[in-house]
Amino acid sequence: MEMNPAVEISNLSYRYPPRGRLALDGISFAVAPDECVAVLGPNGAGKSTLLLHLNGLLPEKLPENPNLRIDGIPLTPETVHTVRQKVGLLFQDPDDQLISATVFEDVAFGPRQLGVDGPVLRSLVEHSLKLVGLGGFEDREPHRLSQGEKRRVCLAGVLACRPSVLVLDEPTSDLDPRGRRDFKQLLRNLPGAKIVATHDLELAVDLCSRVVILDEGRLVAQGPTVALLSDEALMLAHGLEKPHSLLHRHPHG
Amino acid sequence: MLHRAPPGLKLGSALVIVIAIVLMPRRPDALYLLPAALLLGLWPLARMPLGFAVRRMLVAEFFILGMALLTLLAPEALPVFLAALIKSNLSIFAMLLLIWTTPFQSILQQLRRLGLPAVMVTTLALMYRYLPVLAEESSRMQRARASRTFAPGRRLAWHSLTTIIGQLFVRAADRAERIYLAMCARGWK
Amino acid sequence: MHLPDGFLDTKTALFSAGVAAAGVGFAVREVRATLEPRRMPLLGLAAAFVFAAQMLNFPVVGGTSGHLTGGVLTAVLLGPAAAVVVLTCVLVVQCLVFADGGLMALGANVFNMAILSVFGGYFAFWAAARLVRGNSVRATVFAAAFAGWVGTVLASISVAGQLALSGTVPWGLAFPAMANVHMLIGIGEGLATGLITLAVLRIRPDLVAGAQAQAAAAGWSWVPYGLLVSVGLAVFVAPFASPWPDGLESVAAKLGFEEQAGRSAFAAPFAEYEVPGVGSATLATALAGLVGTVLAFGAAYLLARLLVPSLGTPHKDAPSRN
Repeated sequence: MEMNPAVEISNLSYRYPPRGRLALDGISFAVAPDECVAVLGPNGAGKSTLLLHLNGLLPEKLPENPNLRIDGIPLTPETVHTVRQKVGLLFQDPDDQLISATVFEDVAFGPRQLGVDGPVLRSLVEHSLKLVGLGGFEDREPHRLSQGEKRRVCLAGVLACRPSVLVLDEPTSDLDPRGRRDFKQLLRNLPGAKIVATHDLELAVDLCSRVVILDEGRLVAQGPTVALLSDEALMLAHGLEKPHSLLHRHPHG
Repeated sequence: MLHRAPPGLKLGSALVIVIAIVLMPRRPDALYLLPAALLLGLWPLARMPLGFAVRRMLVAEFFILGMALLTLLAPEALPVFLAALIKSNLSIFAMLLLIWTTPFQSILQQLRRLGLPAVMVTTLALMYRYLPVLAEESSRMQRARASRTFAPGRRLAWHSLTTIIGQLFVRAADRAERIYLAMCARGWK
Repeated sequence: MHLPDGFLDTKTALFSAGVAAAGVGFAVREVRATLEPRRMPLLGLAAAFVFAAQMLNFPVVGGTSGHLTGGVLTAVLLGPAAAVVVLTCVLVVQCLVFADGGLMALGANVFNMAILSVFGGYFAFWAAARLVRGNSVRATVFAAAFAGWVGTVLASISVAGQLALSGTVPWGLAFPAMANVHMLIGIGEGLATGLITLAVLRIRPDLVAGAQAQAAAAGWSWVPYGLLVSVGLAVFVAPFASPWPDGLESVAAKLGFEEQAGRSAFAAPFAEYEVPGVGSATLATALAGLVGTVLAFGAAYLLARLLVPSLGTPHKDAPSRN
């Protein structure tokens, strides 16, 4: 028996309306369950646009014959809400995601949409906050949290919907080194497939077994992390650089 | 004490107290001692710090005096003027007790239970949440602008301020778009 | 212009609250019917934006400063119904979080600043924008600046009416004082409204255009607001708005009600005062208002011509008169 890939993208293109540039141009790749894949590329390469597609947030009118499958489910207008529950999307700016007045209300936002309420909701929220190391933060107000704490609350809010795929947009971009280390540790211990768009190449090396490189909307390379990131010519050609941790390692060693 | 009282009760009481004050005679009168005594009695129960009360009262005094000066235009207006001062100060003190003991979030929940339309509830909640974010964004832009202002003047100030406010609106609109996407991503319909 | 508690009597406060509630109710219904879901969070963000913008101080003359109220600006950017909801939320938070503006006076403040100022201002915007042909950016900036002035003056007249109806300040004094001061303050509001509209048009013209199209589409639904605004103004202002002193009192006197004037619902307790020159002050203010309107109109037009000089750079997506 063959397992469905967690995410399967085939020939995905997207042009910003009304007649903007081609932001995604024939992207195809798949992510296995429990695999962690990094999406790299310079600014404007289409990383964030790609991530919004994984959740059915783009294009504005979903196509009837889908080029995206999550856990084998094709993404169509009929399945979009099921897919959104399966794909947990962590946005780049935590302030965009934290909309409620208290941490509890915010983590409860997703589960409430799924009809969870009462004591079940309370314990689900408590559990999700403990998962991200913020037990007891229920009554805190979002604007009084540190950047790292805000990110964790967002993650708790995503985890509370019990997704099978986690999609993260620049999860470490505004964290200090300790916050980055802690958050990385946290992500490593979470089960399920993960797709991480990032400029943090050390994060890719530490967390992801495979990388996909986008440039100008096209998928220009994909392969095992160490092999790809050690290819200095490839890195430089796409606005990236060889990570320090790989400086003394041979591409195939 | 008052912190744990139901928000609906507090909101209702504040309204009743303010109405009672407004209904009192339009001249200084011994009757005003009643609400004054009541509010002073509630003060310790609210554990409202003196500093908070004084600061907020002073800010409000600015508006009250502006309005009250109008009453002084009329002949023999002193009683009306004094009554307006007493009434508004007592009312504001009542409001401060309410505000100090009741988080906006619980007032909002109460208003929702009272049938405030969902559009208003959502707008109020988002406004309260993003007020600090936008205020911070605004002061960052002002600082950036100030760091590049070498010859200050009124015209330049107007130009900078209106540009900043325009930019602030554009950013608010962009953020609203991202918030919408983030809400959808978590199952909002 | 936030009225604190203690300046309005109960009947005025309650009546204003009733009119305000009806107006906000209409606006909520219209927003629910016409606003796309993806623009829904924009209302909350716009309310926070108005609040944040109000915190910025503009230098005026001689070390004094003023700030934007933002009602007409919001109407230009989001359309009038959305602006009513946004401004109402701003006033509610100012009242319940910052004790700025009274609790019992909330209805009056909402009527003045969130309904009358927004709708009266937006009507002026809509009418004035149609008078300038050719360059839509210039028309929008000009109309926004003029409307900012109109909205401010309208709200101040309503405040004067409410104070008079409450018997706090006689109309013959409140009206000239409020209206004359706000014809000056309104210059700042108009200037800021025009400049900010231009700034937004330069960065993202589509943000303004969307609102205009939406508001135009919902044109017929203006009727209830028009009625509400008229009813409010009629009750607050009309009884006093004759150039003769104490119009209502003299009517009451003719009908032989002088004895009960103090207790009658509508008569202010000033009948016994002889206020010299009050009648002429009201008349003079009304005339000044007319002249002021013409001047504000002309100044707004000049401002727009100066700021948007060439006819050759129309923004494609900028709001046009559609």
